[in-house]
Amino acid sequence: MFWTNMRVYVLLLVVFLSHALFAQSQPAVAATIPEPPLVAKKPVLPAAKPLHRIIDQQIQQGHKDYQKLSSVRCSDSEFLRRVTLDLTGRIPSIEQTRAFLTEKRPEKRTILVDQLLGSPEYARHISQQLDVTLMERLRKKYIDVGAWEEFLRQSVAENKPLDQMVREILSADGSKKEDLAAARFYLARDGDVNELTRDISRIFLGADLTCAQCHDHPDVNDWKQDHYYGISAFLVRSFVFKDKKKKQTVFAEKAEGEVKFESVFEVRDKTSKGPETTLPVVFNGSKVPEPAFKKGEEYKVKPAKDVRPVPKYSRREQLGAAITSPENRRFARTMSNRLWAMVMGRGIVHPLDADHSENPPSHPELLDTLTDQMMAHQFDLKWYLRELVLSETYQRSSANDLFNSKDAEELDDSKFTHAILKPLTPEQFAWAVLEATGQAAVYRNSLKKKLTEESLRKKLVGYERQFVSLFGGLPGKPVEGFEATADQILYLSNNQAIQGILSARAGNTAGRVLKVPVEQPEKAAEELYLSVLNRHPDQAETKEIVSLLAGKTGKERSDLVSDLIWALVMSSEFRFNH
Amino acid sequence: MRCKYACGSHESLTRRAFLGGTAAGALSMLGFGGMTQVDAAKKLASQQKQVVVFWLSGGVSQLETWDPKPGVETGGPFQAISTSAPGVQISELLPYTAQQMHHLALVRGINTKENDHGKGAYIMQTGRKKQPGFAYPYLGSTFSHHLSPPNSPLPGYISVGVGGSSAESTFLGPRHAPLVLSNGKAPSNLGLHSSMTADRDKLRRSLRHKFSQRFEQKRRTAHTEVYNESFDQAAALMARRDIFDFSHFSDKDVERYGKHDFGRHCLMARQLIEKGVTFVKVGHTNYDTHSENFNFHIEQLGEFDKPFATFISDLYDRGLLEHTLIICMCEFGRTPRINQRVGRDHWGTAWSVALGGTGIKGGAVSGKTNETGTKVIDREVNGGHLFHTYYQAVGLDSTEEFYPNGQPIAKADPQTEPIKEILA
Repeated sequence: MFWTNMRVYVLLLVVFLSHALFAQSQPAVAATIPEPPLVAKKPVLPAAKPLHRIIDQQIQQGHKDYQKLSSVRCSDSEFLRRVTLDLTGRIPSIEQTRAFLTEKRPEKRTILVDQLLGSPEYARHISQQLDVTLMERLRKKYIDVGAWEEFLRQSVAENKPLDQMVREILSADGSKKEDLAAARFYLARDGDVNELTRDISRIFLGADLTCAQCHDHPDVNDWKQDHYYGISAFLVRSFVFKDKKKKQTVFAEKAEGEVKFESVFEVRDKTSKGPETTLPVVFNGSKVPEPAFKKGEEYKVKPAKDVRPVPKYSRREQLGAAITSPENRRFARTMSNRLWAMVMGRGIVHPLDADHSENPPSHPELLDTLTDQMMAHQFDLKWYLRELVLSETYQRSSANDLFNSKDAEELDDSKFTHAILKPLTPEQFAWAVLEATGQAAVYRNSLKKKLTEESLRKKLVGYERQFVSLFGGLPGKPVEGFEATADQILYLSNNQAIQGILSARAGNTAGRVLKVPVEQPEKAAEELYLSVLNRHPDQAETKEIVSLLAGKTGKERSDLVSDLIWALVMSSEFRFNH
Repeated sequence: MRCKYACGSHESLTRRAFLGGTAAGALSMLGFGGMTQVDAAKKLASQQKQVVVFWLSGGVSQLETWDPKPGVETGGPFQAISTSAPGVQISELLPYTAQQMHHLALVRGINTKENDHGKGAYIMQTGRKKQPGFAYPYLGSTFSHHLSPPNSPLPGYISVGVGGSSAESTFLGPRHAPLVLSNGKAPSNLGLHSSMTADRDKLRRSLRHKFSQRFEQKRRTAHTEVYNESFDQAAALMARRDIFDFSHFSDKDVERYGKHDFGRHCLMARQLIEKGVTFVKVGHTNYDTHSENFNFHIEQLGEFDKPFATFISDLYDRGLLEHTLIICMCEFGRTPRINQRVGRDHWGTAWSVALGGTGIKGGAVSGKTNETGTKVIDREVNGGHLFHTYYQAVGLDSTEEFYPNGQPIAKADPQTEPIKEILA
């Protein structure tokens, strides 16, 4: 431990020295001594041991009774449903379910994962997840939402490194055609410096610095007002500019402007003569120095009425590089943790936006490893997700006998002894419903040769939108916990859109179940369970369906089948990815 | 060190706590619908305070309503009239309201220093100045949170004819977000689909319940409980959809309230209060009279006056005013200076709000503006004072903090205090 620290300190010294040297011409910088930066430890790459094995090892070492407490490896059907939802955003079709459950190759889970990762639905689903993380369902402002979504989808499809994607987003000002879509991050927030500071530190750095706007954070000792204004300083010169001539709105910048701040509680430094200023800086890293220009020579294009000014030096241009710099481990760490939480149902640091020393990670060593490997693999999103889902940790059952006993208290989610129930996102829920009811199958059949991910989506996107508007939470708010409201249920119970897809038609689930000969009710039970819950019914469940269907014919039978589908689709087993 | 300012850390906590606490046992409340109306009303009267806000969107002129200045250059053409409250005069544009003045108190010394519609509306509905990065809940959500019985199957905050955003409840969660009855329509999907019968619905619900229970064995159930509760809530709302049946108003009532949207919305509000909804907001628009201020006010207040007064008198007659707080407000007042288009502009510096009902001293007046109405010269108050007053009027200690998710939040701005002189 000492030696590790030593290495950091030596590195720090180097950083300080270079800083001090530079600072001679930059008195503003020399005035404040930065706190120890979160300098990157050199990633130590384990020899050839795949990450998913390391994950299992470190999770198991994280708790002395892990073997005793952990759930068994999940069944094939549980795995199929879970990983299909996690990687493609929908449940598997009944054909996919049958095929996977009868597949005999021992490495079939790995084969499935690679198939899913290669599918066009992977790019769609993961980009939607990224969209919600980055935009928190903010509505349209200036920038076409469709173009932004396509930018993200394309980025995920070509497996663009995550750090590169973030740099593209943070450098986009919307002035060039090719970065127009990416400028949505700034413009949808109307360029509001405080909103952007809050969101950038929360989303990319795992730190909700809101409280540090007016004073050092009252609950979190690590978070200072300097951190808040360090990020603000990158943005303080930028503003939304409506270019009347070009008829576009861009995020423009001036050559001057400093953030000024002082605590509303107390003067921190008795010698201080008023508000402090700071150069741009990401957390405890080194301040980004800036060139000095003679007065009057700061601009490439000088500000004037109806003219977008272009400074010779842009502070905002430094932001993406500073955030994703190898010196800033917080970024890789936050992204590793966010993606872990997306797949595993809970962050190693949890809540995700509260990464500070008083809220330690459940598995510190593992989080370090994930961060190192994320950096060493150049932010390769597909590789990372593949490793996560191949781990045994991911593949544990959500069921655990101990939940019914006293020991259940020991089964804290943070120990990852079992798969955590994850509420389906609005998009997942919509597409799962469309698959379970067979509505998707009906449209796949109708599209025939024209069937692509995009063409099918076009047909069914209306359902997705209804689910998002009801289940999507508030624009501009991170999704937390799980909320279920009466109006959502009223929609699911009584709305024509849902009621309509439950009734039998050729090729949908009710239609297929009703086609099963009346004298084979066990087969009907199987069709129902495989379609909706992607598993075979057990004996009791088969018996239950058989007895419900007994003696029912005609309309009575078809009503019952629709009601059974509804009841299965609305069950907890369906609502949660388990 | 306590954070006296609004920090976002409050928001970052989960809203699960609210949902868990509010929805449990909603099914048992289904029995509530079976009580006689009188019983139900009595029960409400003894336990539950309710609040109605009349929101005059755009900013009604204080000079043409609560603080007339006849005879001075800024006063405009209208006279002041005496009211049922001795010594209190209001504008002649409110003759019906004048007859209910003994139920109402006036706050004439408001200075919110805010002339922007959005920011002014925020101050008046949250009691705070808008701060970046933190959002206080609007008063509809706040009072729904504080006053709704924990197991109530009714929505706590209903907004009629004025819109409302789900964002209003902020950290108090969707349970306290406004249920918006736009254009006087009941919420969507309240009734069974035409292809469905009550028996089938019952069967599929019980099957759903059984399937879910089976799954929940051997699993952690924190989330699944919330999910199951939402089905119970929906069932409760469907069972109480009578509160949204607005088809049975008598011709006489429709006549008394007026055959326009605002009249109908006031009638709807009366029914919602009668049926026990905690907080109702009724909107009337548009008072943003930058030109033709006087003609517009004749028209707008001509529509507003009678239904508003009838609402108060009806609530009194039915014994509902005893436990219902009435607030008539908007985002700001209008400039005493009359502009070139015979309009008045935005004015948050010296204006008025009217309050009435439970906890309010009818006929009381607080605050005074100067002769031309440009300045508050006595008892200046702002949004914070008003919030303390609202809280205290419904019997809550406004100086306490509340802990919606374990973090202390001041109910009202601690730098201000209630307007005691108008409290009963």
